[in-house]
Amino acid sequence: MLALENVHTYYGKSHILHGVSIEVRPGEVVGLLGRNGVGKSTTLKTIMGLVRPAEGRVAFEGRGIGGMAPHRLAHLGIAYVPEDRRIFRLLTVLENLRTGLDRPGLTDRRREELLQKVYGSFPVLRERRDQAGGTLSGGEQQMLAIARAMMLEPKIILLDEPTEGLMPRMVSQIRDIIQVLHRDGVAILLVEQNVPLTLEASSRVYIMEKGVVRHHAPAAELRANQAVIHQYLGV
Amino acid sequence: MAIPFDQILIQTVNGLVNGMILALVASGLTLIFGIMDVVNFAHGDLVMLGAFVGATTIAATGSFWLAFLVAALVIAVFGAALQASTLRPLLGRDPLTTILATFGISLVLQKYALWQWGPSARKIQEPITGQFAMFYLEYPWYRVATAFFAGAIIGAFWLFLKYGRYGIWIRATMQDRIMASAMGIPVPLVHTAVFAIGAAMAAASGVLFGPLGGVTQTMGFDFTLRAFIVVVVGGMGNLGGSILAAIFISLLEAYASIIVSPSQAVIVSFMALILTLLFRPTGLFVPTPSSSGACWRCRRTS
Repeated sequence: MLALENVHTYYGKSHILHGVSIEVRPGEVVGLLGRNGVGKSTTLKTIMGLVRPAEGRVAFEGRGIGGMAPHRLAHLGIAYVPEDRRIFRLLTVLENLRTGLDRPGLTDRRREELLQKVYGSFPVLRERRDQAGGTLSGGEQQMLAIARAMMLEPKIILLDEPTEGLMPRMVSQIRDIIQVLHRDGVAILLVEQNVPLTLEASSRVYIMEKGVVRHHAPAAELRANQAVIHQYLGV
Repeated sequence: MAIPFDQILIQTVNGLVNGMILALVASGLTLIFGIMDVVNFAHGDLVMLGAFVGATTIAATGSFWLAFLVAALVIAVFGAALQASTLRPLLGRDPLTTILATFGISLVLQKYALWQWGPSARKIQEPITGQFAMFYLEYPWYRVATAFFAGAIIGAFWLFLKYGRYGIWIRATMQDRIMASAMGIPVPLVHTAVFAIGAAMAAASGVLFGPLGGVTQTMGFDFTLRAFIVVVVGGMGNLGGSILAAIFISLLEAYASIIVSPSQAVIVSFMALILTLLFRPTGLFVPTPSSSGACWRCRRTS
């Protein structure tokens, strides 16, 4: 469904991605592991059209999407939850959700269903729906960022380090929501530093180092053989 | 020196009336800055063009209110074309390029108006001619009506931003252009639409102001300058702050003109501008995320 083939990306003159190839199939949860600064976030930004690939091909459902504007990608069914969450701080929680709901072609009934669904998964968002996004705690902001992406009814969600800096209770809530999304048939490309979570949630895992994919294996295989993890991630 | 109570009251009404027209001009300017980081130095010239289009329509049809609508629509379409052709390609570049571009547009529009409508001032006939007694003055109802009318336009726009389906697009784009885009909001279209709305508000102010001050091809500069002062004092890109600042500055000038001549009273606006830049460069009326959902702009994340 989503495929990167030999993608090269630059920030100015620095060469960040050196030929990354990744594939995500419909409804699949795929993990992307690696240390800080190896290009995981840049990979997601390249898919989302925030950075333009200098070389290589990015394709979604068979059509090339390299250089397409982010809002067109969102219409195609790609949602993005950035590492820094990027909540609209002065919009209320409900208004943050409305940025994905207030679009042409969505019936009032469907809007209500989508809202009730995320309120069901994240009751705290219902409680705080009239509060400014900037006043939420880090964990709540992360939930809001994921909930906001769900408003787009995406086919795939690009999740950038959703558990970073969260306390364990919040981490397990993120794990639950990944399962719910997976059950609903939404594909996820999960960038993480949290190895146990990634191995548990994903079906396949790519490991990146210095801008290239060094290793690619089913998660079950990595769970059984942690030597590879030690080799690339030093944990 | 004792200041008579009646003068203070008259100047308060004057300040509010001028403040509301200024607020309507400044709303557009601050909106355009807030969403595109573009200081539109041609904004006053959109006021001027609107006033001329209004005056021409009145001459042809005799209807003030039709002229008001025609001016707002024509200048909105013109504004959209201007943004798409001139400003969109410059988005994200050094602010100096957009300052130069809009300054250039300002000059072109002034010369166009001179060529099209000639150098002499035009007067728009006010649609409401009654007056009421206020102390020793016969105060025209039309002046009061303009304040209400400007207030109604700003209020309607505020409601649209807060509750309208596409109002949320504008507020989200103002706060974080990139995330708004990732949420499927067509940001380039929003930019063009906001410029068109700002231009329509400027044109509306021009027609409303026409009966009070006359229409000339150089009237725009004064509006740009005042609106710019208001936008800085109110906090760049902050709509609520700009409206408060417009009323604040206009009241200051009105009260100052009790003591000094009206042309000297302008000095207090500049003093307010300089003091704001020195002591509160972010503006006097700036929202923070903690102060409820009514405020909708804060530091940009990129």
